[in-house]
Amino acid sequence: MNDAIIRTEGLAKFYNNGFRTVALEDVSLDIARGSLTCIMGPSGHGKSTLLHLLGGLDRVSAGKVYIGGEELTAMRPDRAAEFRSKRLGFVFQFFNLLPVLTVLENVQMPMMLAGVSRNDQKKRALKLLGILGLQDKTHAKPNQLSGGQRQRVAIARALANDPEILMMDEPTGNLDSGSEQELLEYIRQIHKRQKTIVIITHSETVASIAERIVYIRDGKVITD
Amino acid sequence: MTFWKLIFRNLTRRKSRFVFTLSAIAIGIASVVTLLSLGTGLEAEIRKQADVLGAHLVVTPKGWCAYEQISVLTGETLPEALPAEDVAKIAAVEGIRSVPYLVQRAVLNNNPVPMVGILPEPMRKFKSWRIGSGEYVLDQNRVVVGHGISKQFELDIGDEIRIRGSEFTIGGILAEIGNRDDLAIYMDLPVAQDLYGSGDKVSFISVKVDDITKIDDYILQIQNSANVAVVSDKQLLRSVLAIVGTVGNALQLIAAVAVLAACFGIINTMMTAIYERRREIGILNALGAKSKTIFTVFLGEAALYGLLGGIVGVVAGFAFSYFAAPYIGQNEFTAFLGSEQSVSVFDPGITMRALLFSVLAASLSGIYPARQASKLSPVEAISYE
Repeated sequence: MNDAIIRTEGLAKFYNNGFRTVALEDVSLDIARGSLTCIMGPSGHGKSTLLHLLGGLDRVSAGKVYIGGEELTAMRPDRAAEFRSKRLGFVFQFFNLLPVLTVLENVQMPMMLAGVSRNDQKKRALKLLGILGLQDKTHAKPNQLSGGQRQRVAIARALANDPEILMMDEPTGNLDSGSEQELLEYIRQIHKRQKTIVIITHSETVASIAERIVYIRDGKVITD
Repeated sequence: MTFWKLIFRNLTRRKSRFVFTLSAIAIGIASVVTLLSLGTGLEAEIRKQADVLGAHLVVTPKGWCAYEQISVLTGETLPEALPAEDVAKIAAVEGIRSVPYLVQRAVLNNNPVPMVGILPEPMRKFKSWRIGSGEYVLDQNRVVVGHGISKQFELDIGDEIRIRGSEFTIGGILAEIGNRDDLAIYMDLPVAQDLYGSGDKVSFISVKVDDITKIDDYILQIQNSANVAVVSDKQLLRSVLAIVGTVGNALQLIAAVAVLAACFGIINTMMTAIYERRREIGILNALGAKSKTIFTVFLGEAALYGLLGGIVGVVAGFAFSYFAAPYIGQNEFTAFLGSEQSVSVFDPGITMRALLFSVLAASLSGIYPARQASKLSPVEAISYE
């Protein structure tokens, strides 16, 4: 696929804790620019490992990952961090907001790490929080929010530096069905803004909004 | 959002731990500041006293130890050891002026007070004393007191005081001088020698020379004329300051141990914080924080502990030295120093040194934990339960 923004070649991850465990084996995948892809599969079969490798959060045992034509797997850790800060956004199942910061400050954080000025940080963070319906929660601490609200803050944070790609690991895993529907609506809206979205999920409801579904079992892609 | 905001929020998230760790470094720095402040004050006061000794040379018996030399400056009781014969020989040396001292102790209202036997006229000229009230007459029945003594014991002209069983009238009060001369009773030398049973002996002799450039020649002449030791005011000051400095260094070493203990407290606090915040470190990394950014955040937390602990320690140290000085002033050695005079209540030099030391010590303590934090793998940190 020529318009692939994410491309993997023979991707593999092994763990050696006295015996060899294969977490992922020979995964070659192209993900199109602007697509919404869900990666599904049973627990413990390598979905999250794949996401971590795609985002450069973990080292590959073999294979390569290209993002927008640049080989992420060849980058040193600090270069990969800089690359993530500008080109990738992450949303995790457990929200992972920083508890000592307010909602606004949590969204400003990636911009601060990218060296954006304080004024621009604030302007963009307020705009994103407005889009995600959190304009009245800017000064709240994460523990004062519902699960759905926390996950929306996490999405706003992931979008802070306007990345091309959004990677989500079980984004609705801790939400009730009402919040799940609400969140999916926001994800659809973000997708309409030409963002490439990769979602790891167990949920058929989440998968229902995907343009493409990749199934993983025993660390291998079984259907695409 | 700024790094400092993040650092400060992290630091104060566990308030009690923050307070305890801060207290440890503050106590260490406070002890450093207290000792530096008292030490600096003491040194300044000793220098001042040496200046007002008004002598270029001090003649002492041979074999006096350093403590006795210090006592020349502090005004403590000294053994009478130089006979009148030596005093006369030294007085005969050309080109110098000399005055003998017999330094003893009297008791007023159950408080020890320096009593100095002097030759009235030579001493007045030597010291350029002025009389504040009454007359400058010292004889069998009359004594003169320093301004400080008259204030402290509410003494006035004509008052009777008892010294070693004999009654004396206060004939005069010296005008305020601003040194330990204010804190003594002055008695005619022969009367004092009689009263204290010193025979014809004195404690030491102060000497002024006419030509300071020939001071080594005068020392030789004095030593040739009598079997005595001669020490210049500068040598005397050096040996006193060396002793004070040695004691001060030893005390500061103890204070440094307190700071060292506080540093281990910081390391412990930081390591605990890293274990608690592993997941957050992973999140920061996922959001694009480089390892040096994470290192800086944790090092910044340690440095901020140092800065805040240092500020609290400096304030506490100066406050403590101010309030503790009067009690320290009860000490025999420091009694001659006015309590307020002996303490630098605020010294910018000490403040800067203490703050720098505090921040540096805390930052050094933060290096190991910060390195540990920066080496965490993002995926391990995120997956940490």
